[in-house]
Amino acid sequence: MKMRLIVTLVGATILLTLASLWMGQQAYSWFPPEASAESKLIDDLFSFLVALGTFIFLGVTGTLAYSVLFYRAGRYDYSDGPPIEGNVTLEIVWTAIPIALVIWIAGYSYQVYEQMDVRGPMEMVHLHMPETMPAAYAQPLETGGLPSAEIAVQAKQWAWIFHYPGPGGQDVTSTELHLPVDHRIKLALTSDDVLHGFYVPAFRLKQDIIPNKTIDFEFTPTRIGTYRLRDSQYSGTYFAAMQADVVVESPVDYQAWLADASSRVPSPAYNRASFEYNRSAEQSVVRGWATVPPAPPPVVNYAPKQAPDSPPA
Amino acid sequence: MANIPVEALSGNRAQPYPGAPDNWKRFFSFSTDHKVIGIQYIVTSFVFFLVGGLFAMIIRGELITPEANLVDRTLYNAMFTMHGSVMLFLWSFPVLVGLANYLVPLMIGARDMAFPRLNAAAFWMVPVVGILMMSSFFVPGGPSQSGWWAYPPVSLQNPTGTLINGQVLWLLAVAISGVSSIMGAVNFVSTIFKLRAPGMTFFKMPVFVWTVLAAQIIQLFGLPALTAGAVMLLLDITTGTSFFRPESGGNPVLYQHFFWFYSHPAVYVLALPVFGVFSEILPVYARKPLFGYRVVAVSSLIITGLSAIVWVHHMYASGTPGWMRMLFMFTTMSISVPTGIKIFAWTATIFGGKLRLDTPMLFALAGVVNFVFAGITGIMLGSVPVDIHVNNTYFVVGHFHYVVYGTIVFGIYAAIYHWFPKMTGRMYYEGLGKVHFWLTWIGTTLNFLPMHPVGLMGMPRRVASYDPEFAFWNVLASLGGFLLGLSTLPFILNMVSSWIQGEQASHNPWRAIGLEWLIASPPPVENFEQLPIVVSEPYGYGKDEPLVSNLAELSESPE
Amino acid sequence: MTSESAIANQVESKIVEEHNEEANSKFGFWVFLLSESVIFLSFFAGYIVYKTTSTDWLPAGVEGLDTHDPAINTVVLISSSFVIYVAERFLHDKKLWGFRFFLLATMLMGSYFLYGQAVEWQGLEFGLTSGLYGATFYLLTGFHGLHVMTGVLLQTIMFLRSFIPGNYDKSSFGIIATSLFWHFVDVIWIILYGLIYVWQ
Repeated sequence: MKMRLIVTLVGATILLTLASLWMGQQAYSWFPPEASAESKLIDDLFSFLVALGTFIFLGVTGTLAYSVLFYRAGRYDYSDGPPIEGNVTLEIVWTAIPIALVIWIAGYSYQVYEQMDVRGPMEMVHLHMPETMPAAYAQPLETGGLPSAEIAVQAKQWAWIFHYPGPGGQDVTSTELHLPVDHRIKLALTSDDVLHGFYVPAFRLKQDIIPNKTIDFEFTPTRIGTYRLRDSQYSGTYFAAMQADVVVESPVDYQAWLADASSRVPSPAYNRASFEYNRSAEQSVVRGWATVPPAPPPVVNYAPKQAPDSPPA
Repeated sequence: MANIPVEALSGNRAQPYPGAPDNWKRFFSFSTDHKVIGIQYIVTSFVFFLVGGLFAMIIRGELITPEANLVDRTLYNAMFTMHGSVMLFLWSFPVLVGLANYLVPLMIGARDMAFPRLNAAAFWMVPVVGILMMSSFFVPGGPSQSGWWAYPPVSLQNPTGTLINGQVLWLLAVAISGVSSIMGAVNFVSTIFKLRAPGMTFFKMPVFVWTVLAAQIIQLFGLPALTAGAVMLLLDITTGTSFFRPESGGNPVLYQHFFWFYSHPAVYVLALPVFGVFSEILPVYARKPLFGYRVVAVSSLIITGLSAIVWVHHMYASGTPGWMRMLFMFTTMSISVPTGIKIFAWTATIFGGKLRLDTPMLFALAGVVNFVFAGITGIMLGSVPVDIHVNNTYFVVGHFHYVVYGTIVFGIYAAIYHWFPKMTGRMYYEGLGKVHFWLTWIGTTLNFLPMHPVGLMGMPRRVASYDPEFAFWNVLASLGGFLLGLSTLPFILNMVSSWIQGEQASHNPWRAIGLEWLIASPPPVENFEQLPIVVSEPYGYGKDEPLVSNLAELSESPE
Repeated sequence: MTSESAIANQVESKIVEEHNEEANSKFGFWVFLLSESVIFLSFFAGYIVYKTTSTDWLPAGVEGLDTHDPAINTVVLISSSFVIYVAERFLHDKKLWGFRFFLLATMLMGSYFLYGQAVEWQGLEFGLTSGLYGATFYLLTGFHGLHVMTGVLLQTIMFLRSFIPGNYDKSSFGIIATSLFWHFVDVIWIILYGLIYVWQ
């Protein structure tokens, strides 16, 4: 009897472990592409949590399901179950194991956070955490001959504007964020009006932007492609429309793009919030309640779109 | 059903004032009977549950397509703001206060709450809150559109410029709801400390009473912090102070601290009584004592303590320094220990029992399963690096709906079915109950499970429009949402028809152990003819020991 | 009234008899005051955060607060806590005239405090909207002032009720609560005075 119980438990544990490991592998496919060094770290951590979570979930619900299937009272069986009121050993075990797990998970998460070293808001309160670990993915920005200056990100209701230091020191503006691949990027995040959130799902990175503050934010894009930047902190009426594209390209392409952009004459970019606001003002379609009017379309050197239907630049 | 005897209709329901001519009228009066007030709370809040559900279905209707094409964006923003506000302040809080109001005095062997008039006054504030919230639809500028967090500076932007605007009405409503909750909390804590029957020591109290105590203590220390933040926000809007106005030196992040210092523990104000409900119901339908009763009871208070030091996990991506993020990651995760203890104890309770899958048991079991899932995603969210990605995405929305709907609403349904015979003296219809259960569970899974993958893909919450890549999961979620709307119909039908003409319930139809089951259904006004003298711990299933030493004297006509 | 309410009253009085109402009410009032103190704690926390992080704390042209008159005010308010205690003792000994005299003295001292505060407000060169400094100053003193006003109002009610024959025979919970509330208001003021006037 005892032997059979042990075999059953061991068998169940092996099955659970296999299922959990499989789920942990599946977890990678639930994300957008891994486009930054940080995303790799986060995906590994998440996969680990999924595996662990699957084990616990299946363990508990499996026991519940087993009870529901095999411990049903008969139709006319009005007797009670065994009056077991507790088991000290068991209770100590299921307190100690979660404590150990929590310390493990939190420690692992701490390590990942340190490695990411996105740094952002720490400067805001002038309290520096001692750097216990070097940022694994930082590369000196000078390689490839790129300027080591920051890109300024300006958020407002409801537009993103990116400011690059141009070759001649002028302010080159764009409504599309262009970044060189495999370089540590430094952003300076600012907001003109309310809270916004800088969020690129493919980078797995997010940071709220607070008006009247400049928040430094760092990361390393590692994959060439075009990704979405979304506002992640609710910012009012046209919140959902506040999106922009992030183009990660080779350093050569990046330099070429910056040179091209700086030579362009600033022109108004297409802005969805402003477009929708004006359209509803003109056509007297069903209007909702009064809203804060969107800022006029930003006038920038480089705009991927001038009109809603214009082809991509 | 024509052969129902006429007496059955007037039946055993002539409470709370024996001999009252129209006893339904008492539910519309300033009654001080805790049982009447309890039912007043439950019914009123259920009406607002339907209102909040309607808002939710408008939200899901808009999100079934990527474009913002069903309603105007301002209307959509008002919908999600009011959905959250109504569901919290007018449904979840009051309905659980109602359940506690009904059950706590009965469970501890008291004749009423400590302050019956205060109790009634606290209840009658709930309709006032509801009227204020709903009236904001009719002021210029419409209701609040800043989300239920009302984060400044968005909540300070007042496009119409009028003094009476949706945000001001919203703040007033929340403030009144807060006053009502504080009055209730003072009452519950005093009742539990001062009005326990002879022999009812703390370790003879049912876990539900423990959890209500733990939850109400949170209200006492948490709500004032929210009130402080709300007062400052109101001053900013109405008098032009600059507490949270960044352009004149204010600090909008400080508001977030005030807000979450209460609003995270508020989740435990809702969840704890539901943990109590699970702890009551599982032993009854498994015919086994609650496993590790004392540890389960005390873990509620540990949750109360920990809940006060975790609030920053809502602000990992906000303007918080790294050390703060790390510190609160550790405290947040530590909450999983006392909650884990509860989950394991419930599992051990039903393991090896003699299960009977009546509707309350189904809801309780499914609620536990949903809660395990929500707890696991909660740990993921507690981890700072993962949260940096999923913060403010649908992953969070999915997680907390698994808590507030999958766990809390399931627990409320379980409780309503379980104590329905006690409250009304009637049995509900089991078949309709099962239909209701399956619709609700399928609807919940369909609605809230897809929110997790779509959140991992990067869909932010509170958006009226989204990129087409998210459409598939949103269609599923919307279908689930409509199914949930549908699922309330069999419930309403069941409740109304059983209350009117259901089968008469005996004083203890579930053969449950507990003081409330020793007296008539529904109980008379003063509950107990003589106060019970409690002699054993709760949950003595299978032990065949008496709960009280004066059973015969408890009610006039024991069945 | 209907027989319904008659029965309700009967039931309620039965409940009151069985449980010592005064002790319960006192317990409840303590719970309430503890909860109320968290509002003040939150405001204090906010004040400390603002004061320590704000770059330009004092509005232009403002040097700080005069501490002389508020100090007198403080002494008056704190002494009134002892005066109301004396009143309570007189009531305990069933000496109503002494009770009334000292309660009236408390009311006058509380009113003097409010008057002093009003004079101070009048003389200040900054307002509610003068940055965080003005906002927090008026918020803290104003919110506390509201509590002082409530305290004086409660004392007035207790004073008037002392003329109802036999009012305090059964229970003196009213005066216990009023007195407790007054001590609470005092303790809050001491912290507030330290934060606003001493810590400049």
